[in-house]
Amino acid sequence: MTTGTATTRVIGWIAILTTAWVVVSAFFLTPADVIQGDSVRIMYVHVPTAWIAYLAFVITAVASGCSLVRKHRTLGFDRVAGASAEVGVLFMAMTLITGSLWGRLTWGTFWQWDPRLTTTLFLFVTYVGYLAIRRVDVDPVRRARRSAVIALLAVLEIPLVHFSVVLWRSLHQEASVLNTDGDVRLDGLMLFTLFSGVVAFTLMFVWLVMHRQRLTALSDVERVVGLDASIAARRAEHAGGVRAT
Amino acid sequence: MDLTPRHVPEPRRSSRRLLPVVVAVLASVIGLVIVVMFLTSSIDYYCNVDEVGVREGCDDTRRVRVQGSVDEGSLQSRAGNTSFVMSFNGVSLPVNYEGEPGGVFQECIPVVAHGRIVDGVLLATRIEVKHSNEYEAENADRLEEAEKSACS
Repeated sequence: MTTGTATTRVIGWIAILTTAWVVVSAFFLTPADVIQGDSVRIMYVHVPTAWIAYLAFVITAVASGCSLVRKHRTLGFDRVAGASAEVGVLFMAMTLITGSLWGRLTWGTFWQWDPRLTTTLFLFVTYVGYLAIRRVDVDPVRRARRSAVIALLAVLEIPLVHFSVVLWRSLHQEASVLNTDGDVRLDGLMLFTLFSGVVAFTLMFVWLVMHRQRLTALSDVERVVGLDASIAARRAEHAGGVRAT
Repeated sequence: MDLTPRHVPEPRRSSRRLLPVVVAVLASVIGLVIVVMFLTSSIDYYCNVDEVGVREGCDDTRRVRVQGSVDEGSLQSRAGNTSFVMSFNGVSLPVNYEGEPGGVFQECIPVVAHGRIVDGVLLATRIEVKHSNEYEAENADRLEEAEKSACS
């Protein structure tokens, strides 16, 4: 049994092609930064993964909300919520790792208990906890309800992370694109490569979430099929017993 | 038809059930540590040079984090010791640091120095570079422009 469809295959191929373009552009076509030199190239992974992690956690919250409201489709929405959170945690880990490397090259330190860095790490740990809680409950419906409440609370951390550089004095620079004054502070090809990175990571995210939620659905189906098979076996036994008597 | 299980399996304390609980507890503990570290770190107030001795929490009698730009022509490196003057809003503060600051440290760049102020000199134990959110392509013309306007 496969989790792939024609749609996922198309998305997968476009994701591979877009990623290839981002790699070529980031390493060979975009210029180095006048101050940061070549270390600026980390931005083409760091920024898109951060944005997509935010998006993933928002989707987790929306799907969780839907799972609470639309009770006849609770499990379907819950699977999307869980899959999105898993991929979000993966991307957030990439954000933290690339950010740490970039920090060493530009700031001179891998880590600082700075508002942006600390709130990002806290967000990451929150969702690791969320994923752990999802695995505590065996009953899928109870798991869905419990984790939905956590997801709806955890998503409130995102504005705090994003605006931490404005709310507090931070070593981390303010946003270059989605900033409060609306100015874009990036050279043309740098901006285009960054945008391409966002597209590539978004496609990767969609591809991963589609496969992951289908895998969870198959696992749930396997559980139900197993139960049905047990009942059928018992019925057969019972029927055999009645005939024997 | 009787559907009750014939053999009630022993409730297994399998590692598969226990692992998520351990991870959840661990995540809570790490979350708490993060908050504590953040709050502890905020004891080192992040002050601009012109706020030292003026703003509450930026007393020159305690360990501080001070932000300012490295003055042009003030940077001196001798025998592993780095000294420079940092300024903000027209107020200057001499800084002495035992070591070579990392990152893209250079003149005319904003930095954050951690340390204590002794006799009007910030004895830094750590220096971090605070780069801006502007990214410009490196090319010969821009380098010249940047060099000319760096400290203007």
